[in-house]
Amino acid sequence: MTPNANVGSVTNVPNTQWLLPFGWALLLLISIMGMPLLESVFRWVEPDARQVIYSRAAFYELLGRHVLVVGVAAVVTITAGVLAGIAVTRERGRDFLPLVGQLASLGQTFPPVAVLALAVPVLGFGTLPIIVALMLYGLLPIVRNTLAGINDVDATIKEAAQAMGMTPWQVLRHVELPLAAPVILAGVRTSVTINIATAALGATVGASNLGDPIIAGIVNGNMAYVLQGALLIALLALSVDSAFNVYQQRLRRRLSAF
Amino acid sequence: MSLIDALPSPALRRRSWHPNSVLLCLSGVMLASAWLFSLVSVAPNRIVTGTSFGIVDAIGWPGAALISMLFMAIAALATVPSQGHYRAILGIIMLTLLLMPFGLMVAGHWLVDASMPQARLGIGAAYWTVLFVLLLCLVELRLRLGLSRWWPTLILSAIGAVWWGCAALWLGNLALVQEFQARDTQFYQAVKQHIALVSIAVGVSVVLGLLLAMLMRRYQRLQKVAFALLNFLQTIPSLALFGLLLAPLAWLGANVPMLAALGISGIGNAPALIALIAYSLLPMVRNTYIALEEVSVETLQAAKAMGMRTGQRFWQVRFPLALPVLLEGVRITAVQAVGLTAVAALIGAGGLGTFIFQGLGQAAMDMVLLGALPILILALMVDAGLGALADALRPGGQE
Repeated sequence: MTPNANVGSVTNVPNTQWLLPFGWALLLLISIMGMPLLESVFRWVEPDARQVIYSRAAFYELLGRHVLVVGVAAVVTITAGVLAGIAVTRERGRDFLPLVGQLASLGQTFPPVAVLALAVPVLGFGTLPIIVALMLYGLLPIVRNTLAGINDVDATIKEAAQAMGMTPWQVLRHVELPLAAPVILAGVRTSVTINIATAALGATVGASNLGDPIIAGIVNGNMAYVLQGALLIALLALSVDSAFNVYQQRLRRRLSAF
Repeated sequence: MSLIDALPSPALRRRSWHPNSVLLCLSGVMLASAWLFSLVSVAPNRIVTGTSFGIVDAIGWPGAALISMLFMAIAALATVPSQGHYRAILGIIMLTLLLMPFGLMVAGHWLVDASMPQARLGIGAAYWTVLFVLLLCLVELRLRLGLSRWWPTLILSAIGAVWWGCAALWLGNLALVQEFQARDTQFYQAVKQHIALVSIAVGVSVVLGLLLAMLMRRYQRLQKVAFALLNFLQTIPSLALFGLLLAPLAWLGANVPMLAALGISGIGNAPALIALIAYSLLPMVRNTYIALEEVSVETLQAAKAMGMRTGQRFWQVRFPLALPVLLEGVRITAVQAVGLTAVAALIGAGGLGTFIFQGLGQAAMDMVLLGALPILILALMVDAGLGALADALRPGGQE
């Protein structure tokens, strides 16, 4: 589930809720296309700099790579996290429950910079280390929420489903997962939002994304670059986060309708 | 109890023989990685990537057999789990951890050419994997044996001390040790700086967080605004926040002599501390607020009925009861701050991140390790220490 899939899947539903995420996304697009037009504003920030608009790569390219990195990490993390959460709440996997819980919280204890630094010798410079660091860092919220969501499903509801003759697979597919979905989604939202900001660190190991202007700005002492990178990342985070918010509310409402 | 118990349910499948599948899996992983991945690598100098050596080349057949036997013993003991067997496994794990530096010594003695002073021994993937999985085994054993958090910490510090001794005395050709010896005063300085930055940032944000949470409880309208603002602050990448503070602080430092005298300038500690505190506030305020709100109304009413004044009710009832959750917030904040301080090295704040970014710049991976490993250990230590403290302060003892 990449952030964009969320936005795209509901375009045909006339609903004012989606105005906010669309607004943020539109603002993001406008600032990417219109960044050169803002030169006078940034010139005011950095009057002495030779150049005030980051130009080593086009902004849409940086945004694309940023989304790609976060998206790949998110897909892997969500698949692994939710599957692990499901596996250890089955009867056969219960032995692994405490370990997986501890492992996920250990993952968030590891600082992303340290993971990034440790991944570079193994994976080389570039995009791979940052994806690994994001995967490790984003795993905890998803695993924790999957476990909480599935464990919180009322035992009597599961018994009722079993008594109706549902197989364990059907109980999982039609009872446990739908009931746990809002909680799992909340975990995914936290994980993805954190990772959008964290992905900027990838620029320190040669992964080119929206962190690039920030690093270039810090190195050259050019605040305008830093501002551009920060603005775009914040807008991206806000559009994805508000899209998740709307989706979450819809899911909640659908569940409470029964 | 319920209808389901009357049905012929799959619960009948439960076996009487129930091995500990977790430890079985983990010992399998260790065995596989020890034989499949490279144990060490040898490089002629600090820039060139080394040649890798497997377990047999590195520590010979006797060493390989010994290690495999230790792992298989863990698996064998785990098939028939009992408290006694778990204790035996704990012993084997400690023995393995103690033997690990000696394996490196043997490998260093055999593989590194003594006539080349620049030649160095690197630690390979198998070594790291086994180390990590052994720690997972410790976590599992701690849960099975019902040990408190202090035990693994004690065991690991004792083993860490042995490793430190080995490294200082006999492991001179290990790459990590060479990097350390080349800049040991710098290293201690960086560790001190890192800890100082983290403790100041966490200390300030604890006080600010408590004040803000108390204000929010009094003025409900403030709550929404403050949480919205703090949430927004978190969407700005830490990297950018550090960068953005450079310019205004540089201006302040240049134009307000009093602030400049306090050491405020664009580069260095001031922007790092401000950004660290800003980032630490959200988890701190959130947990403090929840902690204070969660105290049960009945307890507070009982305190009121006993004739306690408002101040007494807060400091003698609400605050102590909220303390464990509050400490949980401090733990999250402190662990996060350890990682963020590493990023602060980019704007010249010092700390262990300096080694990471210098090492990345020079493509000297051993130097990166010298920065990253202590940060990792520091984060784990802060996590374990504050977690144990929260456990101890929980009313009614431990979890």
